[in-house]
Amino acid sequence: MTIKGEKKFSYAVLVLPAVLIYLVVVAFPTIFSIMLSLTDYNGGKIFGADNLHFVGFRSYEWMLFNDPSKAFYTALRNNMYIVAVSVFGQIPLGFILAYILTRKLIKRGGGFFQTMIFLPNVISPVIIGVLFKNFVYNRDSVYMEIVRFFDPSAEFTLNNTPMIPVLVVILWMFTGFYMIIFLANMQRIDPSIIEAARIDGASESRVLWHIILPAMTNVIVTSSILAISGSLRTFDLIYVMTSGGPAGQTRVLSIYMYEQAFQGSANYPMANAISTVMVLISIALIIITRAVGNIFNDKEV
Amino acid sequence: MMEKALSIFSKVILYTILIIFTVLAIYPIIWLFIQSFKSTQSYLTTNKLALPVEWFFDNYPFVWTHGGFSVFIVNSVIYTLITVFFVVLLANMAGFGFAKINFKISKWLHGLFIIGILLTIQSILIPLFLMVNSVGLLNTRLGILIPYIGLGLPMAVYLCTDFVKHIPDELLESARIDGAGYLRTFISIVFPMCAPVSVTLAIITFTGTWNEFILMNLLTSGDRLKSIPAAVGRFAGSLGTDYGRLFAALSISLIPILIFYMIFRNQITKGVTAGAVKG
Repeated sequence: MTIKGEKKFSYAVLVLPAVLIYLVVVAFPTIFSIMLSLTDYNGGKIFGADNLHFVGFRSYEWMLFNDPSKAFYTALRNNMYIVAVSVFGQIPLGFILAYILTRKLIKRGGGFFQTMIFLPNVISPVIIGVLFKNFVYNRDSVYMEIVRFFDPSAEFTLNNTPMIPVLVVILWMFTGFYMIIFLANMQRIDPSIIEAARIDGASESRVLWHIILPAMTNVIVTSSILAISGSLRTFDLIYVMTSGGPAGQTRVLSIYMYEQAFQGSANYPMANAISTVMVLISIALIIITRAVGNIFNDKEV
Repeated sequence: MMEKALSIFSKVILYTILIIFTVLAIYPIIWLFIQSFKSTQSYLTTNKLALPVEWFFDNYPFVWTHGGFSVFIVNSVIYTLITVFFVVLLANMAGFGFAKINFKISKWLHGLFIIGILLTIQSILIPLFLMVNSVGLLNTRLGILIPYIGLGLPMAVYLCTDFVKHIPDELLESARIDGAGYLRTFISIVFPMCAPVSVTLAIITFTGTWNEFILMNLLTSGDRLKSIPAAVGRFAGSLGTDYGRLFAALSISLIPILIFYMIFRNQITKGVTAGAVKG
C-alpha cells in the first residue's frame, strides 16, 4: 500500500465507526424529527403507504396559538421556573459553598463536605423522584407528618402550588454540581495574587469582590448555559414524582412531548414540534446568556 | 483579641453553613435506609421521622425475589460496561483521526459532533423509537446499546480530540519514521497515552448510562431487559403504598451507585468538571 493509501485507509478505519453510529443515532433523527413535525404522520408504515403528508406548520400553529388549553405555555412556564431555580438558586449557592471550601476558611473536613454535598448528583433521578414523592408528596409523607404536628386535622392536598416541591428537589439535586464546577475553577486562580492582595491589606470581602468574582465571570456564564440546557432536559424526576399532574400543573415541555407521542393516541407531529421548539428555546437562551456575559466581561476591562 | 474572636465567630458560621448543606444533601437518603427497616404497618402508625422501634428485615428478601433485582443489576452492568467500552474506544479512535491525521473533512465531522453536545435526548426520542421499531430491534439489547453508544459519543469525541491535540507531533513522527503506520501508532502510543482522558470518559459514561431512564423505558417492555432505574420505576408503581417494601426496593437500587461513588468520588468530580468546562 502507498503511504497516501495507508493514510486514507487508517483515517477511515479510525473515524468511520464513530461517525456512522453518530449519524444513525443522533444526526439523522434530528433532521427526521424536524421533518415529522411538519407532517400529519400518526403511526403505521412511514414510507410506501399513505400515512404521511406534509402539512406545513399546522402543529406549531395549534400549539402556539390555537390550543384553548394553552398547555404549551403552562409547560414552558414550569420550565422557566426550573431555569430560574438553577440560575438564581443553585449557581449562587454552589458559588458560596465553593468559595468557603477553596479559600480554606475552614481547616478540616473540606473533602468530606464536598463529597457529601455532591452525592445527590450521582443518583438516578428516578430513584430520587420516588423517594421524594414519599418524602413530601403524598398523604403519608414526612412533610404531612410535620404539618399534622402543628395542625392534626390537616389534609394532604396537591392543588396549591404543586411546582414548589418539584423545584425544591431540583435545587437539592444540583447545587453540588455547580459547587464542584466553581471549586475546580477557583483552585486555578493563582494563590500568590490573593496572598499579595492580603499582604497589601485587602480584606477578605475585597478579595472576593475584586479577584475571585471577576475571575469567575466566564464560569458563571458557562454554568448558566449548563443550567438552561439541563433545565429544559428535565424529565425523569417529574415523570416519576408527579407525572406532570395534578391536571398538568407540573407538566414541563419534555413531559408534554412524551404525552403527545406515547400516551393516548399518538400525535407524533405535535410531539416533534414541541421538541423542535425546545431546541430553539435552548439555543435562544444560550445566546442571550452569552451576550449578558459579554457585557459583564467588558466592564471588567 | 478582637480579631481572634471575630475569626472564631466566622469559623463557627462557616462550619454551620457547610454542616447544614451536608445534612440537607444526605438526610433524605439516610431517612430512606432507616425507614426501609420498618414494616409498612409500623411506618404508617409510628412517627415517620423516628428510628424503627424494632428493626424489621423482611422487606429486603421479599423485594429481592419478587422484584427480580438480580436480573436488573446484571442488565445494568451489561449495558453500562459495553457502552463504556465502545464509547471510550471509538472516541479515542476518532479523536486521533481528527486531531492528528490531516484531512479537510475532519473539521466538518468534528463540528458535527460538537452540535450533538447541545442536542437533548428529547429532540431525537421519537425518531429513535420509530427507527428502532421499524428495524425490529425493539425489546432487544442491541436496540438499546446502539443508541446509548451514539448518545455518549459527542462529548467523548470532543474530549478525546482535545486531549490528542496536546500529544507532541514529534512523538508520533518518530514512531512513523520507525515504520509504524497510523493504526500501529494508535494502538501502541496514542491509546495508552490517552489513559487519563479515557478514565474520565469512562466515568462520565458510566454514571450517565447507569442512570438512564427515558430510552430504556421506551425501548423495552416487560422486566427481562430493563436496567435498575426503569425497573424500579415500574416496581415502585406496583408496590403503591406498601411503604416498607418500597423503601427497601429503593435502597437496593441505590447501593451499587453509592459504592461506585465512594470508590471513584475524586475521578467522578474531575470528570464532571472536564465535561462541564466545554460550555
